[in-house]
Amino acid sequence: MAENTFDAFQKARREEGALDLKVGDETIPLILRFHDVRKAAKNWQTYSSDAPFRVPVPSQEDLRSVRQLPIEVDPPQHKEYRAIVEPFFRRPTDPAYIAKIEALIDQHLDEAIARDSLDVANEFALPLQSKSLTLLLGVPIDHADLFISWGNDVLRVDPASASEELCDAYIEKQLDNAAENPGDDMFSALNAAQYQGRHLTREEKIGFANLVFAGGRDTIINFVTHTLAYLAQNRDAFERLRDEPDLVTSATEEFVRVFSPLTFLGRVCPHGAEIHGHKIAPNDRAGLCWLSANMDETVFKEPEQVKLDRRPNPHVAFGSGTHNCLGAPQARLIMRTLLTKLPQRVSELRILDSVASFEDWKVYRRQNGYKRLDMVFKGH
Amino acid sequence: MAQITFITPSGEEVTVTAQSGSVMQAAVTNMVEGIDGDCGGVCSCATCHVHVDPAWLDKVGAAGDIEKEMLELEDGSSDHSRLSCQIEVSDELDGLVLRVVKN
Repeated sequence: MAENTFDAFQKARREEGALDLKVGDETIPLILRFHDVRKAAKNWQTYSSDAPFRVPVPSQEDLRSVRQLPIEVDPPQHKEYRAIVEPFFRRPTDPAYIAKIEALIDQHLDEAIARDSLDVANEFALPLQSKSLTLLLGVPIDHADLFISWGNDVLRVDPASASEELCDAYIEKQLDNAAENPGDDMFSALNAAQYQGRHLTREEKIGFANLVFAGGRDTIINFVTHTLAYLAQNRDAFERLRDEPDLVTSATEEFVRVFSPLTFLGRVCPHGAEIHGHKIAPNDRAGLCWLSANMDETVFKEPEQVKLDRRPNPHVAFGSGTHNCLGAPQARLIMRTLLTKLPQRVSELRILDSVASFEDWKVYRRQNGYKRLDMVFKGH
Repeated sequence: MAQITFITPSGEEVTVTAQSGSVMQAAVTNMVEGIDGDCGGVCSCATCHVHVDPAWLDKVGAAGDIEKEMLELEDGSSDHSRLSCQIEVSDELDGLVLRVVKN
């Protein structure tokens, strides 16, 4: 694999430490170095998340009407909001839940092996992510059919896309259903939850649910698709996972580091800020660039190399500090299970055809996954 | 083999027996409150933060450079802080006492 394939920010990180991203009329300096990114993530007074619609870039005023929770709020409010949904997002550490994900991945591998070939992006990663999400939400697994029907571009920044409305309609309906028939699902928990001694407003509930769909969809699909393509292209890595299954945990962390499914996130600077000479005016934004931090050669030796046994590996692919990714246990469980089962079940992975997907912001361009990835899964 | 005592955020004392691996793994295996070990021990998540009992600091040793940088930005960090995924179980650590730092 060509050197620097993963590192779209190398030059700017080494030379300047920041890179100005132009988004419409807005200039957003991306913070590129590992230590700077972690410090900014910790310093919420300067780099604030208390900014509805403005943590994602481009901002999403036109895409939704509610503040996403708990991501678009600062401490101390953040802590109480996050605690409401944290138990759901910790479910992937429960043995019974783990067994369900294992069964799900076995089913998908059965199908992949039985077929001559399949499109891993749309026929493997998307249904796997959607069904896994039903387990996390505690809703019937057939709801995944609906999530899948929204297509692979749900909640992407495309005002023409109707999938945002479909997602909102689903959330509204589930909240209503849960109010009539409370159960063990996240919507019932949101209806029952207390914040500062009161029930959540409808907007707050929708804000929580909206984030679950927005944050956990493309990220997991890209993570799974990218990793499977890598294993098909790097047979030695695939064989090594078969010979040394104990590497699954560190390999999972290494794949999430190099593929950093979320390139960066925005923060608003209420009082302004400056990063390596790049000025941020009051109420303008900066970006915390997880991908660049994960490629920082002052922290990660040979960062562009995939080392399945990399330890320590203090990556920030799941963010850093108080807002670290709520869905990380789910992402880790899916990847660890896949990396365990794949070498057991599959003797060879081969790519027939692929269409890569790119993020292209002019000042940087990176492959973030695949629109289509036709692969053969040859069983033992 | 080592017996290691964790004092949890709620004040409970839990003593576990570990043969090998990291102290974090021993804590997770025994479901010690406050030690999550989400990243599996690669020094990425800092969900295994402990304070080492002063009497044991020399034997446990100092944090490595990357671990130190992780700890610098953690709440509740002190001169006694370690990430328990970076402490290997050994016979020398028999009797070790660690205070779990609340996430």
